[in-house]
Amino acid sequence: MKLGTIIGRVTLSVRHPAYRGERLMLTLPWRRETLCGEQNFDPSIVVYDQLGADADQTIVISEGREAACPFPEPTPVDAYCAALVDEMFIPSKP
Amino acid sequence: MRTAVIRGHVTATVKHPSFHGARLLVAVPESDDVSPQIVLDNLGAAIGQRVIISSDGAEARQMVKNESSPARWSVTGIIDPEGALAV
Repeated sequence: MKLGTIIGRVTLSVRHPAYRGERLMLTLPWRRETLCGEQNFDPSIVVYDQLGADADQTIVISEGREAACPFPEPTPVDAYCAALVDEMFIPSKP
Repeated sequence: MRTAVIRGHVTATVKHPSFHGARLLVAVPESDDVSPQIVLDNLGAAIGQRVIISSDGAEARQMVKNESSPARWSVTGIIDPEGALAV
């Protein structure tokens, strides 16, 4: 599960029938430099969101097979917004 | 499984229901060029501690007792600090 910052949203008219009421958020996954305050991210990915995430928000992204676990039927999702981060407590290195 | 250092923790009000009551930590794997991971912890790992994290989703789902949880990474052990072994 990675951290990510949302930069936008993707909308589609023609899509897989399993996508219902989805929000697809364009997200920049964090790198280790991002934790130190640098604006340096991995290439953007699309994340399936059911929690109501918005632009500029930091989220927890679940990736891989586990991203599809919340769905009762097989769903082609490999990145799922698992939590909206309120606060992060990261003391700087001693 | 990877060795990682716990760098902090995360709080979230809006989250998947399976995460209620779960401890979410920020773990930075020690191997280069691997992104920081949010890991579930029920062992009580502290900031600065070296731990073993595992990407076994089945174990993480068992940890939160929810089969539809999107959880993937969890702390499976806390590495003894250097010099802890008495010779």
